[in-house]
Amino acid sequence: MLPQEQDRFLPIVNVSHIMKKVMPANAKILKYFINFITGEASNKCQREKRKTINGDDLLWVMTTLGFEDYVEPLKGYL
Amino acid sequence: MDHQGHGHGHGQNPSMGVVGNGPQFPYGSNPYQASHMTGSPGMVVASPGTIQSTGQPPSTQLGQHQLAYQHMHQQQQQQLRQRLQAFWANQYQEIEKVTDFKNHSLPLARIKKIMKADEDVRMISAEAPVIFARACEMFILELTLRSWNHTEENKRRTLQKNDIAAAITRTDIFDFLVDIVPREDLKDEVLASMPRGDVPVTGPPEALPYCYMPPQQVGAAGVMMGNKPVMDPYAQQTHPYNMAPQLWPQPPPPPEQQQSSPDQ
Repeated sequence: MLPQEQDRFLPIVNVSHIMKKVMPANAKILKYFINFITGEASNKCQREKRKTINGDDLLWVMTTLGFEDYVEPLKGYL
Repeated sequence: MDHQGHGHGHGQNPSMGVVGNGPQFPYGSNPYQASHMTGSPGMVVASPGTIQSTGQPPSTQLGQHQLAYQHMHQQQQQQLRQRLQAFWANQYQEIEKVTDFKNHSLPLARIKKIMKADEDVRMISAEAPVIFARACEMFILELTLRSWNHTEENKRRTLQKNDIAAAITRTDIFDFLVDIVPREDLKDEVLASMPRGDVPVTGPPEALPYCYMPPQQVGAAGVMMGNKPVMDPYAQQTHPYNMAPQLWPQPPPPPEQQQSSPDQ
């Protein structure tokens, strides 16, 4: 990016500072999302007497908990 | 026994006790015309500059307003559904284009660390953090999209905390976040509606004395209630701190009141 072009944008630090004001619990929300899904996947593994949580477990849990819209796009990662 | 003029002879209203004598109104309708509030009956303000006459009673107008509100709400919901459909279609297309599965917007090690925070989790396959990285990205995008919808509903251009809280409250699958993101605007409303006392409080709330009194004994100092003189709760309490004298004036102990027994 050219120096002149860069001057036409606001500094990214300032922008992120504003975003943090709006959503300070952003990381917290994601942490709870991961914990929520992982907890259910862990329960599933315990019921099925398995030790390793795999991608299929996560997708199954997402479908069960109402995040079925996430499943189709994520199947490409399996 | 005089049967004639029983209702009229004693100056009673002839319609007293008679059901159905007055005009009949449908249940739930208001028989009174609030003309000073709504203008003349049958006038609807269409826009700030124009007034249209509809020739309809106010109850019909209320129904129309409700219908208009419902219609607007349905439009907003439909708009949100369309946006979400476009969003998910876009996500699907983006993932189909992805060839490099190693670069992620969120750190996999951190995701694995958060997963390991659960004591029940023993082992995690390599694909699990990768799936979570993408799922978290989509989760943020969806939450932001729903929050932005609330921002636009309120005719604003800045995303605020209460928009995120509203998105969480409105969406069933985000119920697990209800305790994490409190409705601060709701709390402010509750605090604003609370009645405030006349006593100026200068210190923190912990410094003020608290005394619970049973409901049957609540009264002013020295008042006789239920044959027992009710004392000021603060007069019996020793204060380990220095209270300002103008805040809590100590009343003198009430004089002993002689009770006359009924048998004397």
